[in-house]
Amino acid sequence: MIAYFGKSIIQKVVTLFFVSVVSFLIIHLAPGEPSQIDPLNPKFTPEMVARMRTEFNLDKPLHVQYLLFYKNLFTGRIVSWRDNLPVLGKIWERFLNSLPLFVVGTILTWTFSFPVGIRSAIMRDGVYDKSATFLAYLLISIPGFFFAYILIILTVTKLHVPVIGMQTFGVTSASPLVQIMDRTWHLVLPSILGATGGVAVLSRYVRSQMLEIIGQDYVRTARAKGLSSETVYYKHALRNALLPFVTMFGLILPGLIGGSVIIESIFSWPGMGRLAYEAILGRDYPVILTLNFITAVLVLAGTLISDLLYMVVDPRIKL
Amino acid sequence: MTVRRFLIIAPAIVSLLLMLSYFWVPTYEEQTRGNPDRLVHFITSSSGDAAMLNPILSADSASSQINGLVFEGLIDRDENLQFRGRVAHSWKIYEHAYFYINENAVTARWGQPDPSALVSNLRAAMDPHTVEWQHVKAVELLPPEDTTHTFSIREGEETKTITIRAAGPQRVRIVLDQVDQMLFERLASLLGNSYFDTFDPSLYVSTDQEMPSAQLNAKARELLPPTAHNPIIEFYIRPGVTFHDGYAVTAEDVKFTYESIVDPKNLSPRIPDYEPVKQVAVVDPLTVRIVYKRLYSPAFATWGMGILPAHLLNDQVLAEEATERGQNPDEFTMRQSRFSRHPVGCGPFVFQEWKSDQYVRLKRFDAYWEGPPNYHEYVMRIIPDSLTQEMEFYAGTIDDYSVQPHQVVRLEKDERFQSFSGTAFGYSYIGYNMRREPFNDLRVRRALGMAIDTQKIIDYVLYSQGEKITGPFVKQTDFYNHDIAPLPYDPQGAVKLLAQAGWQRGSDGYLQKNGKRLAFTLITNNGNALRKAILAIAQDAWKKIGIQVETDLLEWSVFIQKRVNQLDFDAMILGWSMGIDPDLYQIWHSSQSGPFQLNFVGFSNPEADDLILKIRQEYDHERQVDFCHRLHAIIAAEQPYTFLYISRWTALLDRRIVRAVIGTDGRTVYKPIVPTKTGGYTFHFNQWIKLDRPPEFSADG
Amino acid sequence: MPIAANPVDPMGTDETYMPPSRSPWAETWHLLRKNRMAFSGLLIFMVFFAVAVAGLAVTSGKDPFLDPARVRLQEKLLPPLASPNTDTLRAEELPALGIYILGTDDLGRDVFARMLQGAWVSLTVGFVAVGIAVGIGILLGGFSGYYGRQYIQMGHILFWLLLIAAVVMAFQQALSAGVFLAIAAIAGWLCKKQHDRRLSPLPVYLKWLALPTIKVDTLIMRAVDIMLCFPSFFLILTVVALLPPSIYNIMVIIGLTSWMGTTRFVRAEFLSLREQDFVAAARALGISDARIIFRHIMPNAVAPVLVSATLGIASAMLTEAGLSFLGFGVPPPHATWGNILSDGKAFIFDAPWLTFAPGLVILVVVLAFNLFGEGMRDILNPKLRERN
Repeated sequence: MIAYFGKSIIQKVVTLFFVSVVSFLIIHLAPGEPSQIDPLNPKFTPEMVARMRTEFNLDKPLHVQYLLFYKNLFTGRIVSWRDNLPVLGKIWERFLNSLPLFVVGTILTWTFSFPVGIRSAIMRDGVYDKSATFLAYLLISIPGFFFAYILIILTVTKLHVPVIGMQTFGVTSASPLVQIMDRTWHLVLPSILGATGGVAVLSRYVRSQMLEIIGQDYVRTARAKGLSSETVYYKHALRNALLPFVTMFGLILPGLIGGSVIIESIFSWPGMGRLAYEAILGRDYPVILTLNFITAVLVLAGTLISDLLYMVVDPRIKL
Repeated sequence: MTVRRFLIIAPAIVSLLLMLSYFWVPTYEEQTRGNPDRLVHFITSSSGDAAMLNPILSADSASSQINGLVFEGLIDRDENLQFRGRVAHSWKIYEHAYFYINENAVTARWGQPDPSALVSNLRAAMDPHTVEWQHVKAVELLPPEDTTHTFSIREGEETKTITIRAAGPQRVRIVLDQVDQMLFERLASLLGNSYFDTFDPSLYVSTDQEMPSAQLNAKARELLPPTAHNPIIEFYIRPGVTFHDGYAVTAEDVKFTYESIVDPKNLSPRIPDYEPVKQVAVVDPLTVRIVYKRLYSPAFATWGMGILPAHLLNDQVLAEEATERGQNPDEFTMRQSRFSRHPVGCGPFVFQEWKSDQYVRLKRFDAYWEGPPNYHEYVMRIIPDSLTQEMEFYAGTIDDYSVQPHQVVRLEKDERFQSFSGTAFGYSYIGYNMRREPFNDLRVRRALGMAIDTQKIIDYVLYSQGEKITGPFVKQTDFYNHDIAPLPYDPQGAVKLLAQAGWQRGSDGYLQKNGKRLAFTLITNNGNALRKAILAIAQDAWKKIGIQVETDLLEWSVFIQKRVNQLDFDAMILGWSMGIDPDLYQIWHSSQSGPFQLNFVGFSNPEADDLILKIRQEYDHERQVDFCHRLHAIIAAEQPYTFLYISRWTALLDRRIVRAVIGTDGRTVYKPIVPTKTGGYTFHFNQWIKLDRPPEFSADG
Repeated sequence: MPIAANPVDPMGTDETYMPPSRSPWAETWHLLRKNRMAFSGLLIFMVFFAVAVAGLAVTSGKDPFLDPARVRLQEKLLPPLASPNTDTLRAEELPALGIYILGTDDLGRDVFARMLQGAWVSLTVGFVAVGIAVGIGILLGGFSGYYGRQYIQMGHILFWLLLIAAVVMAFQQALSAGVFLAIAAIAGWLCKKQHDRRLSPLPVYLKWLALPTIKVDTLIMRAVDIMLCFPSFFLILTVVALLPPSIYNIMVIIGLTSWMGTTRFVRAEFLSLREQDFVAAARALGISDARIIFRHIMPNAVAPVLVSATLGIASAMLTEAGLSFLGFGVPPPHATWGNILSDGKAFIFDAPWLTFAPGLVILVVVLAFNLFGEGMRDILNPKLRERN
């Protein structure tokens, strides 16, 4: 067990190292320069460009740049090229903005997928199942930003309420309750949008898991015993069907960064996805690389956690 | 069972909790719900962030918008675009006119008198009770002046520094209480027509080195001009006006503002406006006197420039800031100063906070001399995406919205909003190169204009958001001559006119004269879809009357540098954006028609030239208007351009925003916001306030 | 009931041991016909394909029948089915169909023509991107699954290093050195090959060439792990933003960042198939590896791969639309559904058709791909197949 754990961690650290190398190479070998050091940028004189290059270590060989970058990252001294603010501080600030969106989105995903998926499995091939399936595919297939604009138009033209941003602009003198509710309202649309894809995929997955379990002999036995279908489905079958989902808790971690770029741009939400987008636009290499590194860590930590959870919940697995 | 119930109840509760929040959010109708301060905040939006909150340095519209509220100038324009005092409560414009005694000239009346006799003769001749001389207040004889100047000239590869000594003869100063550009013409009737022309300044200068005589003469004329007008403006500053930090606004601040603008190291984009200034003098703490080198009436408007606080930006303060921030004080200028991000002015709003790419927040200035504005706060949000701006406006989190042309029809009638519209300060035109055949013929130019249906362009390309225009002045000013009818749309008439000019339809359907086809190329820059559409419409219209038109879309830099500036074009589509001031010298004076100058169509008309000069030298509004109307008529008759249209803008405001005015009985009276004659609706901004429900006004307003 | 060939009666005359009355393809077809959602997905897909090809034909060329790039400012933002204003348009500017079926955009371009042009572009993006991904996936997955247990020897590494160095040099204007290295590498490889054939042991001084380093499988699977660590949309966005905008870059990048699933999948298929009896039999007969892989294993593994490719096309089209929305999509003059949509969003209150036409079409086509793909997956998966 310990040995497995140690081996897995070593393996992940090695993977992380390669990820860092690959992402560093992708960024630095791509053509073009960040605007701060672009010699074609009319705002900067050649001396300033030269000074910036030295300041950003861009005049050194690639491997030295790599070492310097990750040294700075681990000592927390890495700064953004755009405004010279510490990258980790910026990310933390944006992370706190993204967190509520992520949490609400995840809660929506998980609370909706299970009832829908289970019912689909029980009513297999019935009208409910067919329409749920179709709806799930519809939600997967709809371009996120198109859906977002439909929802926004409906809300703005029918309800006349603000939907952009983290809170209504100008709500300054309101009581804390109003402010909290206002913030909650601004979470509704983006988190619904964030959850659509998740609900669709997860409910399909729940359905197929349930189907597999329902087909097992012990479930048939239980039914043959005369247990009510309620008890059979929701007690015996569900418990076993749930197993793989426990492990999925680990895998949702990386979603914190990746999936929110478009939604955050539409809603002018100052979160991590938007930070990533702005960093890409401005070729702010330190921010891009740091975000990439953090995501990789989250992915690897997620798989580790899911392995562990699997060991905890499934007594058959002994490593 | 419990599991099943949980599975159904959990999503229901989550959705309920989320949806519940809707009942606390302020909607458009109830923006004050739980948030009463919303009524005293004005929130607007801008697509770009401000660049520099220093009125003498900024050049972008977002900065100007904020600077206009934080800073205030000596004067501005009122509802009718006339000047009114702001920081200055009044002003006086008068003139010192000078001429040198021409020792060799024989005067018409008095022969060849000595200078003092000449002066007393003049005094006697200028009867202040006559209309002609009523503005003359004094005639004085000044002692001769002896000055030395050094300057450098280029001679081949090397530059030479030359010292020149100018020892002019005695000079006569005439003090007038009004600027009179005709003074010397009138004096000529007393002194003889050639009195001023025969004065030879080169007799009074000497140099330490040889220099070409042509250059020497020019330099001498510059140093010792035979005659000179020195218009003088005296501003009387309103007592008790203070900056936001409590310091009083004084004449020193005005002088400091002027000096900062002309200081080359500040790189102010406004230097050209202040070039005619000779001297700014502080007469007393509340009086400032500005002396100009020559007659130039547009200069008056430049004193609307926001006044900078000298005590926060003088060299000493800047040097201290530089040292504190570890920078070289010699290279540190106003541009680097933190003042540009934390401005202090004397306008109605006090700067509070600027979050880059998010918002700029201002608070009202309680000690504002005209009384504080009704709004407590002014916020400019930076929202680059126009759709987001629109949605935020519908949701009530922005108070105004500039409507795009295609939206006007839909939004103008919307009951939730009040809408305002007006015409822009710029026009589009087709310009003809009048140096070339066939555009040197007025009939051809008229015919070309008559063949184009401008109304169609306005209706289809501009969604009717435009107006016809007949001349070069801003349509909502007095200078625009409304008596001139636009060129009619009359293709048949155009064909007839062309026939008069000798262009007959040939067998191939094209107009011909002496075996040559009527053919030319119409160009414009690419990247502007509007101009491209006009290009296509014009080409088609002209084709219909038998003219062979090629079109070309050029890269902006090529279009301007290679074609327009080099005067290498037949006809082209372009637009001018105008100021209120009627000075047309650069665009229409015949002296400005060389390469790289703005009169690229080569318009040349002696009467127009004369009027253009008179307009820029005239300080009297009525007379200026007369000149302008005449000039407008000439240009409209000559048709050097086919004037196409000026576009209309439309803006929306929340219906609940009204003007709150304290009536004579001390009670607050609400009045609707009405646009001023010129279309501007923000004129009374300081009186605006938002009510919690749409107001109903009594019939009499 | 599994059906085994009857050794007694190869002619299959016995009623009990009837061979399947339908071939596997016919069986699949039958099941597909029964799955209404998947079948309608297939129909929509075929219609879409026909439209895309027709669209390419009528919108490209020097003087296309429907010109998607023709700007008519007089005809801005006309609603669908509006007729053109004949007064202000020249004859050649009139839309070929007499009306604007899907209206016009803010520059007066015919949205219908742009949608047709976009259909082909979107289709190409989807197919090429997925083609690249599936190609890489099959190659690496196949390698990993079939040769996975073998070790990479030092010699292999040396060979590849030499070859890569040769290519780099060839591109760095050192062509002759590059050619020399390449020849050296290939010569070394041929020598080794000869040597193996003679079954004689390597000379001592070359022993190190045969030193095992790492398993093929481990190498490929670690590469998959590394790629999976990148958040895919973020990675695509980064690379697309850094590279100059071009339709090819987008296709290649989407392809290069989405092969991991196929690789894992193919590997699993190969791992299970290579242990099957028919493969062992083939190997015993001395059939070459290549023949075993391509003739015996691949046909059995390819159907599910194609299914996942169908789903991949759907997601590639969505990715392209997302990139266009953020301003990094296919650059003009190519119209894609993604950039029609993102250009149109500014006019959503005034010209909703600019958003809804491409939005709904993307939705329908992606939905068709998804329904068809998922339906086929169900059909090919006997575990989930309806028991009847």
